[in-house]
Amino acid sequence: MLNIQPSAPEPIYRQILEQLRRLIAAGQLAEGEPLPSVREVAVMHAVNPMTVSRAYGLAEAEGLLKRLRGKGMVVAAQSGRTRSQSERLALLEPLLLALSRQVQELELPADLVLRRLGKLLGE
Amino acid sequence: MSESNSAPLTAQGLWHTYEGRTALRGVDFKVEAGSVLGLIGRNGAGKSTLIRALLGLLVPSSGGALVLGEPALQLTDRVKERLAYVPQQPEAFPWLTATQMLAFVGRFFPRWDDAFVRATLSRWDIPTGRPLAKLSPGERQRVELIRALACRPDVLVLDEPAAALDPVARRELLREVALRAGEDGCTVLFSTHIVSDLERVASQIALLHAGQLLLHCALDDTKERYARLWLPSRHAAAAPDAPVSRRVHSDGSLTLVVGRGARGDWPAAVQLDGARLDALGLEDLFVEIAA
Repeated sequence: MLNIQPSAPEPIYRQILEQLRRLIAAGQLAEGEPLPSVREVAVMHAVNPMTVSRAYGLAEAEGLLKRLRGKGMVVAAQSGRTRSQSERLALLEPLLLALSRQVQELELPADLVLRRLGKLLGE
Repeated sequence: MSESNSAPLTAQGLWHTYEGRTALRGVDFKVEAGSVLGLIGRNGAGKSTLIRALLGLLVPSSGGALVLGEPALQLTDRVKERLAYVPQQPEAFPWLTATQMLAFVGRFFPRWDDAFVRATLSRWDIPTGRPLAKLSPGERQRVELIRALACRPDVLVLDEPAAALDPVARRELLREVALRAGEDGCTVLFSTHIVSDLERVASQIALLHAGQLLLHCALDDTKERYARLWLPSRHAAAAPDAPVSRRVHSDGSLTLVVGRGARGDWPAAVQLDGARLDALGLEDLFVEIAA
C-alpha cells in the first residue's frame, strides 16, 4: 500500500504521512479500514519501527487515523464528509510547485506541458 | 548519574595518534538508549578507530569512553554479556565450523538464543560443515552477525556490516537491526559508507571526517534542517556566515550547505535574486560535507 523511498530528500515519516493523507482524502482508504501494523510496515520495507510509529502518531493527531483497542490503527471518520475538491487540490501543491519550477528550468512552453499532462490524465 | 539514565555509549575528548597519523581529533559524542546511530565517513575518516576506542579495544592517546556506564578499558563481565561487536574483518576461530563456533561462544552469554541461531543459519544459507576459514567473506560476515544477534545484546556495534553482503542479505540484516532497536530497545551503532542503508534504519547519524565529528543529529533533521544553497557570483559577498560546508566554483558562484536558524528560518541569502535552495538527500549531504 505504501511506497517508501529512503533516499528521497523527504524523510520517511513524511512520505508515509503524505501518502495516508492522499489515500484517505481520495477515499481509497475508507473509514474503519485497518492499517498494517507498525511491525508489518517496518518488516516489509526494512525501516525503523519508530519511524512508522511517528508517522502513525502524527496521522492520529491529525484525525486521519484512530487507535482501536485490540485492532490497531484504523481510518477515522473524516468529520462526516469526504474532503472538498479544493482541500484535495491543496495536497498536490508541493508537486505542482516542483513541476512548474522544472518546466521553467527546461524552458518548455506551458501549453506543451499542459497538453502532455492532459493526455496523462486521460482527457 | 545512574546507568539507567546515561547513554549506553559515550566518548569524551577522544584523540588518537598512531604511526605519526592522527586518526581522532577530539571526538565527543553519545549514543542514546534505543537509538540506531549510523556513523558515516569516507575510507580512512577514523570510523573503525573511533569504534575500537569506544569499546576499549585500543588505548586512545587521550580522552576516554564509557560502555553502559563503565570505563571502556575496564569492562566487567556483567557489561560484556550485554555488548556485541562485529569487526570489519572477522577472524576469530578459523578452524571451527559455524555450528561449533556458535555453540562454544554461546556458553558465555546467559541470554543466548539457540532457536534464533538454528533458524538464521538455515535462512541465511550458511554452510555448517566447513571450517570458518573456508567460507566466503560474505558467509563469514553473516556468521558473525548471527553470533552478535544471538546473545540478545543491549548494545550492538557493527563496523561496516554490509561491506561483504549482497543486497538481499543486506536488506535482511537491516530488517533485523530495525526490529531489535524498535521493539527490544537495543542500542545500535553501525558504521558504513553505504548511505542508503542508513536511510532505512538509522534514527541518528554522525558524520566523521578527518578524525572530527562534523555533524551529529537526528536523521530526519538532516533532510528537514539542512539544504543546499547555490549563489551566483554577484551575491558571493552576501553568503551566510559559518555554513556547514562551502565550495567555490570556477565562475565565482558558491555552493553552501546551510541550516535553519533557531526559529526554523533559512538564512536571508536564500531570498536573493538568482539564489537557489534545494532539499538534500543524505548522500548529497555526505558528499557536500566530506568531499
